[in-house]
Amino acid sequence: MTSFEFTGRHRMTLLIGVVIGVLCMAGTWFFADDAIHSRFWSNFLHNSVFFTGIAVMAGFFLCASITAWAGWYVTFKRIWESFSLFMGIGFILMLILALGTYFGWHHLYHWTDPALLDVNDELYDPIIAGKSGFLNKSWYLFGTIFSVGIWFFIMTRIRALSIKEDEGNDEDFSSHRWMRWWAAAYLPLAGFLSAAMIWQWVMSVDSHWYSTMFAWYSGASWFVSMLALTILVLMILKMKGYFASTSNEHIHDLGKLLFAFSIFWTYLWFSQYMLIWYANVGEETIYFKERIDNYPVLFYGNLLINFVLPFFVLMRNDTKRKWGSLGFIAVMVLFGHWIDYFLMIKPGVLHTAHEVAAHASGHHGDHGHGAHEAIGGFAMPGFLELGTGIGFLCLFLYFVFSSLTKAKLEPTHDPYLEESLHHHV
Amino acid sequence: MANHKDIIYGLYNDEEDLLKAVEVARDQHLDIMDVYTPFPVHGLDPLLGLSESRLHIGAFIYGAIGTLTAFLGMTWIFTKDWPIVYGGKPYWAVPSFIPITFELTVLFASIGMVVTFYVICGLGPGVVNPTIDTRITDDKFCIAFEKGANESGAAESFLSSTGASEIHSKTI
Repeated sequence: MTSFEFTGRHRMTLLIGVVIGVLCMAGTWFFADDAIHSRFWSNFLHNSVFFTGIAVMAGFFLCASITAWAGWYVTFKRIWESFSLFMGIGFILMLILALGTYFGWHHLYHWTDPALLDVNDELYDPIIAGKSGFLNKSWYLFGTIFSVGIWFFIMTRIRALSIKEDEGNDEDFSSHRWMRWWAAAYLPLAGFLSAAMIWQWVMSVDSHWYSTMFAWYSGASWFVSMLALTILVLMILKMKGYFASTSNEHIHDLGKLLFAFSIFWTYLWFSQYMLIWYANVGEETIYFKERIDNYPVLFYGNLLINFVLPFFVLMRNDTKRKWGSLGFIAVMVLFGHWIDYFLMIKPGVLHTAHEVAAHASGHHGDHGHGAHEAIGGFAMPGFLELGTGIGFLCLFLYFVFSSLTKAKLEPTHDPYLEESLHHHV
Repeated sequence: MANHKDIIYGLYNDEEDLLKAVEVARDQHLDIMDVYTPFPVHGLDPLLGLSESRLHIGAFIYGAIGTLTAFLGMTWIFTKDWPIVYGGKPYWAVPSFIPITFELTVLFASIGMVVTFYVICGLGPGVVNPTIDTRITDDKFCIAFEKGANESGAAESFLSSTGASEIHSKTI
């Protein structure tokens, strides 16, 4: 089958998932939230960043493969193209967050409070003031628009060239040469800007804390999730009879990448943990103390799902080739990294929410012990969090599948197509 | 060398010819002594009916021994043998053990694999290994038969009919 048919039944299934997500978000907003809607906005941030990041990393891996003259991935490269085009939606999602930061619709970030920068205010915070050259609303808005915009733009160029190649009149490989230019431009832009945006979007939730490992670590988390989702989408489409020329050899290689990058993620996670544990500087250690004391199940479960499980299950040769074991690990790891992002975002947002609440009730500077409001969805992902996550996943898949219909499912004139068809590990 | 073997072998110029020839040999139930190639040829192992290497099982065991050696060793040293407080950490400071545990795991696994590989292949200092033809490390693909393993003349006619560019006999 050369083209993908996105049937009405599948559209309906995914749309129902999106509706569940919207209902969960509305339910969060109206029935299960505090006065400043911390739960709603933190769920929105969590899922928007997670799925936009998967799109960024799909583009990154595609561009890295193009630049490295790799050929093995070509038969299924439309999947990564479609993943990366989700950045169009990601742009809108992140823009909503950035505008929210700019106009003060939400209180996800402690540093957005202007009183912290005023030397004469009793709330003046020299640490936050020192960071205000980077952590300010204008940079957040500009950085989001510029970064996601330029990533999306480059990926649309690569996609257009990739489709143009299919016409088959690219005798001098000029389309592919141009694609290589765009891919080479994307790599440093995605590498450096994603680090800067991770600092703004995710790390600055804990405004006083910073870690030089953080961008690597959460970027690796995106990358592993992208690989897991690629494996799952490929398996689903192969079960439907598509991608006949994508063989178990390709799946095996994706399994190896999932195994390898799970270990890479662990390496970065542990490096960050060990450096902070060793140095034991209070303002750094608080990040892990908070999580180990108040989120022990998620904290250790995170390592169990994202390291121990893929490490021992995918170590063998045959478990990477059997769909049961590889698919199971892909599902677990995708969920595990979603949890990982939950753990990065929620404690900081809760802390800020407590401070805002303490503020409102007049307990200035009473960090986190002021007027508590009982809000769920922070200690553990509740049903509303899971529902929101499912909604975003279905939105992502809906968009990916409709992108897949807009081009031939398998490229016909990519210069590396033959290599991919004969891929053998 | 104690056990001399009389062999007959053919040299092929191309890996595709070699793969086709091995397929023919399998269909004719010829007993191949070994196949020599300058680089790994994809698809050759299953044609020859070779089972998967078990070297990686050894690697896992050596690695696990390395993990235990490092972790239990450090545990014993820093809690029983010579406890020192450093950096205000507890004696049994697990995070600081992890890098060394990782390194010894890799070290044990890699050295163990190399030694196992050398022992199984009969390689080592002072060992002289028979060479069938020096060009099989360069650009020739070789199928070798032991004389007497097949019906007389079967190997020769097989080699000439499957496009071997040269056919030789040798005692190694």
